[in-house]
Amino acid sequence: MELIGLANYAIFLGILIGIYALLSLGLNIQWGFTGLFNAGIAGFFAIGAYTTAILTSPHLPGRVGGFEMPILVGWAGAMIVAGLIAWPIGKICLRFRSDYLAIATIGVAEIIRLAIRTEEWLTGGTRGITGIPRPFGDLPYVQSQLAYLVIVALAVLIVYLLVERQLHAPWGRMMRAIRDNEGAAAAMGKRIEARRLQAFIFGSTLMGLAGALFVHFNRSITPEAIDPMIATFLIWIMLILGGSGNNRGAILGAVVIWTIWSVSEILTDRLPTEMAIQAKYVRVFIIGLMLQLVLRFRPEGILPEERRTRTAPPG
Amino acid sequence: MKSKITAGLVASLLGAVLFTAPAHAQNQRIALLSGISGPIAAMAPAMLEAMQLAVRHVNEQGGIGNGGRLEFVIGDDACNPQNATDAATKAVNIDRVIGMVGPACSGAVIAAANSVTIPAGVLMITSSGTSPQITKLNDRDLVFRTVPSDDYQGRALARTLKERGMDKVAVAYVNNDYGKGLADAFKDEFESVGGTLAGFSGHEAGKASYRSDLAQLARGGADTLVVFDYGDGSGLTILRQALENNFFKNFVGADGMKSDAVIRELGADNLKTFFTSAPVGEASASLDAFNQAFAAAGHDPNAIFATTSYDAAFLMALAIEKAGGDRAKLSEALRSVSTEPGEPIMVGEWAKAKQLIAEGKDINYKGAAGDHAFDENGDVPGNYSFFKVSGTTYEAIAEMH
Repeated sequence: MELIGLANYAIFLGILIGIYALLSLGLNIQWGFTGLFNAGIAGFFAIGAYTTAILTSPHLPGRVGGFEMPILVGWAGAMIVAGLIAWPIGKICLRFRSDYLAIATIGVAEIIRLAIRTEEWLTGGTRGITGIPRPFGDLPYVQSQLAYLVIVALAVLIVYLLVERQLHAPWGRMMRAIRDNEGAAAAMGKRIEARRLQAFIFGSTLMGLAGALFVHFNRSITPEAIDPMIATFLIWIMLILGGSGNNRGAILGAVVIWTIWSVSEILTDRLPTEMAIQAKYVRVFIIGLMLQLVLRFRPEGILPEERRTRTAPPG
Repeated sequence: MKSKITAGLVASLLGAVLFTAPAHAQNQRIALLSGISGPIAAMAPAMLEAMQLAVRHVNEQGGIGNGGRLEFVIGDDACNPQNATDAATKAVNIDRVIGMVGPACSGAVIAAANSVTIPAGVLMITSSGTSPQITKLNDRDLVFRTVPSDDYQGRALARTLKERGMDKVAVAYVNNDYGKGLADAFKDEFESVGGTLAGFSGHEAGKASYRSDLAQLARGGADTLVVFDYGDGSGLTILRQALENNFFKNFVGADGMKSDAVIRELGADNLKTFFTSAPVGEASASLDAFNQAFAAAGHDPNAIFATTSYDAAFLMALAIEKAGGDRAKLSEALRSVSTEPGEPIMVGEWAKAKQLIAEGKDINYKGAAGDHAFDENGDVPGNYSFFKVSGTTYEAIAEMH
């Protein structure tokens, strides 16, 4: 009995880690490879989430959408729309240097959040959208969770392989060149702005996909889910702790942070009630402390970026 | 490095298994979820205290079943879906709870119900999720609430205004699930009973000036403004600016506006045409008993959602007792202990209830927040009164239906 429960919890943990890993991989493309400080992850997460919600949920009077399309169409739509919205945003904002870009993207994410809360004809406003189908959602509890874990794991695997391939291709080397020395890259004829825009859009589509996976898991989406704390800053911590510039680091960061966040509570719940409640506030503190320690003692993260330093051939 | 982390993970999971070794067979465990961290952190302590008071009442008066105790585990939903599903999954799978009281915010309730408790067949009673969306959940009769949906108050207020001859009104609401939920229900009902809405607009909380919003609303020609907002927040600003600029003559608010801050800041003299609706626990022996017990425990009985939280936890305990600890019969048992016919049970009367259940007699819990006669969606109708300002406080002038 207990073991089944534990396994079931582990499955749930895996699903959320997978979703966060996708967000972290998306951010890794933007920050890790290209050096774009995107502090508006929640915005693209939300766009993906709402796009698939609108495409696949049943019809409701007074709201656009409810097309009851197949779930795969919803996911593709989520990626496409997140990318399409990232394009003009990137076009305007990517001219900024890193910290200004961060401020601009925070603003963009806030605009997206407020638009979602207000534009009821499209997003259901503050009530959100419910009744979204979950693949294999009709199976019993455990089987349904397991099926969803397989889907999420497959998505993470495919995305990881593609991003990894892209990173080792000339494209990845070019992006790192742009990140590390823009002037030199420009002098070699690389189109800096177009490439940065490319990375921004690419990363945003992955964030959109993560939003879509999240929505179908919960069968609902409400504006509370796009809180910057859990949909932007937590992902930054994951990437920095795991190791920015390294895809496995990005995934590992998601595993470590979400596990600490969730599993620590199981342990602290064994404490007397008063302390157990206080321990829940301490969790937030521990995550912050870990970030400080990593930045102080291991700024490159747990799994640092692999730098293939090849000595120049003799002669 | 990686293997170390894996080892650490395995160790902590194993630790969890050891710690959760099966409790005494007759004990029953429930989960108490609230928004301990996050936007409603200020409300959560009182809610949790009220739930724990109910558990104490149960355990002090004979416990559950044949000598078992009611245990609880507390979870933090942080008022968002991510943390709510996480806390609910742990409660259901690791702690093997039989029922769940909470989570606190509507978005958290919907997500936790959809992806955890409904698939797992666990009964959920929320004491503070007020969104009308919760009514529509396809819940296999597993989601209940002891707090009325915002729908009820909005509709009751619409009917009351129409009865009192306010046929043409403008509505300003704060754009969150509270304000929006009330405003939508109000609009729907007001138009269907033949009233005219001369303006209807939402606003964001916390702005310095709402004069342009008010001017826009006043253009419709109504002399009554209905404000769905908070009286110690932007609702106060709206009321002040509407009075200063003479945009409207009459003002009506819902429970959020029934705040002492309004009278303190604006003065009773300026508020002769200000009315509010608010839920009233039926002035009952049960409410008195709760107030007394909660104050004796050192907490403020007027804290928001304290009464509904107590009732939710107490009803959960009654249902478990009635169902004999059988998870599958829990929702049926909950309906049975909360509706007519049956011997009335007041707050704190666990021993009496336990005895009657053991004798096979029907009981009907009359809670601190009301009778909790659940409808087929698991919702409760609220009891509301219509208030005017009188001196430094509010005075009920009529019941609302």
